[in-house]
Amino acid sequence: MPQEDPVLTSSRREMLVAFGIWLTATVYSLSYCGLYGYNRDPASLKFVFGFPDWIFWGVVFPWGLCTVASGIFAFGFMRDEDLGDPHPEESDG
Amino acid sequence: MPEVILADAPSPGLAVLGALLVFIAASVWLGTMAQRSLKKQRFLEGFFLGNRGLGAWTLALTATVQSGGTFMGFPALVYSHGWVVTLWIGSYMVVPLTGFAIVGKRLAQISRKTQTVTVPDMFRERYAAPRVGLTASLLIIIFLSFTMIAQFKAGATIMKLSIPGSGAFVLSEDLPVEIDMKFYLGLAVFGVTVVGYTMIGGFLASVWTDLFQSVMMAFGVMILLCLALPAAGGMEQATVVAMERTGPGYVFAPGYEPGGRDFLPIGLAISMFFIWVYAGFATPASMIRVMAAQNTEVMRKSICLLACYNCLIYVPLIMICIAARAILPDFNQPDEVIPRIAMHVTQDIPFGGLLTGLILAAPFGAIMASVSCFVLVIASGLVQDIYLRFINPKATQDQIKFVTRAAMVLVGFVGIAANIYPPKYLQALVVISGSAGASAFVTPALMACYWRRSTANGVMAAMLCGFGVYFGLYATGWIQTWALAVGGETPTGLAATILGILGPDRGIGLASAVRPYYLLSVDPVLWGLAASAVAGVGVSLITTPPPASLVSRFFDAPEKAPSPA
Repeated sequence: MPQEDPVLTSSRREMLVAFGIWLTATVYSLSYCGLYGYNRDPASLKFVFGFPDWIFWGVVFPWGLCTVASGIFAFGFMRDEDLGDPHPEESDG
Repeated sequence: MPEVILADAPSPGLAVLGALLVFIAASVWLGTMAQRSLKKQRFLEGFFLGNRGLGAWTLALTATVQSGGTFMGFPALVYSHGWVVTLWIGSYMVVPLTGFAIVGKRLAQISRKTQTVTVPDMFRERYAAPRVGLTASLLIIIFLSFTMIAQFKAGATIMKLSIPGSGAFVLSEDLPVEIDMKFYLGLAVFGVTVVGYTMIGGFLASVWTDLFQSVMMAFGVMILLCLALPAAGGMEQATVVAMERTGPGYVFAPGYEPGGRDFLPIGLAISMFFIWVYAGFATPASMIRVMAAQNTEVMRKSICLLACYNCLIYVPLIMICIAARAILPDFNQPDEVIPRIAMHVTQDIPFGGLLTGLILAAPFGAIMASVSCFVLVIASGLVQDIYLRFINPKATQDQIKFVTRAAMVLVGFVGIAANIYPPKYLQALVVISGSAGASAFVTPALMACYWRRSTANGVMAAMLCGFGVYFGLYATGWIQTWALAVGGETPTGLAATILGILGPDRGIGLASAVRPYYLLSVDPVLWGLAASAVAGVGVSLITTPPPASLVSRFFDAPEKAPSPA
């Protein structure tokens, strides 16, 4: 039984985590904004750092978290791999 | 022809024209610099893929769905509909991650293993099936041609409006512009410039120009933010004033829409969280960028750079446009929001005119970069997938160079010729071709990268079904719109039959004359993605499995050479 390509193994793992982060962000943002952004009484409007509260907690705050998560993913989780020689015939010759 | 010159229209005078000329000169210079860095002996890989040498900055700021639209259509949406546009664009929070982490590594690896320089070529080699490559190539050429023709028009329009005396300077990709000698002059200058510098420097010229305009746009947004927010009395004050002028819809979902439509009901909000993410990693223009990445370290750095860049662009741009709604009185052309606010906040500061010119010229640079990329991708398809496959497989380097440049001239000529009498519904075709790329290529890209059992027929079915369902729902929407227009209050005959089947207009999304049919209130992209996935998986499972040797080449670890005794 041949061994799986290590680039495929790490790529698949990273793909699943990236999809997981996207799904988490999507479910959270849409749930929060769906609950607090739609059909709202204008009198209940509050501001957080100048943003309407539902925009801040529903989009701006998770955006910040995702930016941090992207950094952690890139430098703490994603593995460097050898993608192969881009110019094999030059190497040969 | 609609009148577009408003009585109170602002004109920035020579500032924008000067800035545009600076952009053109910079782009030509970048093209020349790019040519010097191309290796002489590897023409195709150098010209179409930059010798697979993209660094972190170029990859980050050119690899996703950034375009002139960031500074053109998007601000107009914020000005028109309010804070809800933050939710509309919200999925950009994960686009840097998904753009590189989902298929980036594998695409770069497969394109190296197969030594391919175009997306169709890569699919052809991955499945050892010329028909897959040809299908991909034809779809890409169709998608990108519509978009490219529209971008030619947008570039020509901006050139025309930058000439003093042409009326309001408006940033719009689909402005109804008067077609006159100034337009044709702009079209000629734009076309010759873009095709010229792309011919000189190839892929690198395209990405370096893209990088240049992305940096300019970031500076422009930061300067505007620092000037516009204090002028509006802060964000909270701006929001309150804007809401007083419009209504609660300006602050809450589904958004402000004087016509009574729901701009962003929850179904469309869900759709947007798919559209931006999937279009960000699986459109042909995105895939070609990651294929050109130097290595995985560059990809990792690009994720961080792009995440930070998006934070600097999108939310600040929304804040600027909300401030603009408070500062400036209502005007009929929301596309004027950036020019108007830029001129308003820079009028009392030193070198304000020059600053405005540079800010307003950035989208022109974005359009040039986009067109440059489209010209390259279409030309590469014509050369790699048609000339080298069917006409002259044994072409020499000199013949390939000549045909490549001839193909680019041909593509540029088509872009110019199609705009001599611009098609009326061009922008609708642009919207379709943009998202159709995601519908058609997401499943094939995932299958090619991660599924051993996927077959050539499965991938073809995924491409064609994704595109077919997406286009079908748009066509259904056009038919419904026609029936509503013809039928009036009491439809009869064919119009009544059509409306009986499709139902009335759901009243969601943009109030466009050309809108899709929102089946179950979600965007056609979702149905296209679903159809593509079902067709791709289903057809793969019922067709003969791929040869073990082909699967092994792409999925198994390469055998190590025996160590010397």
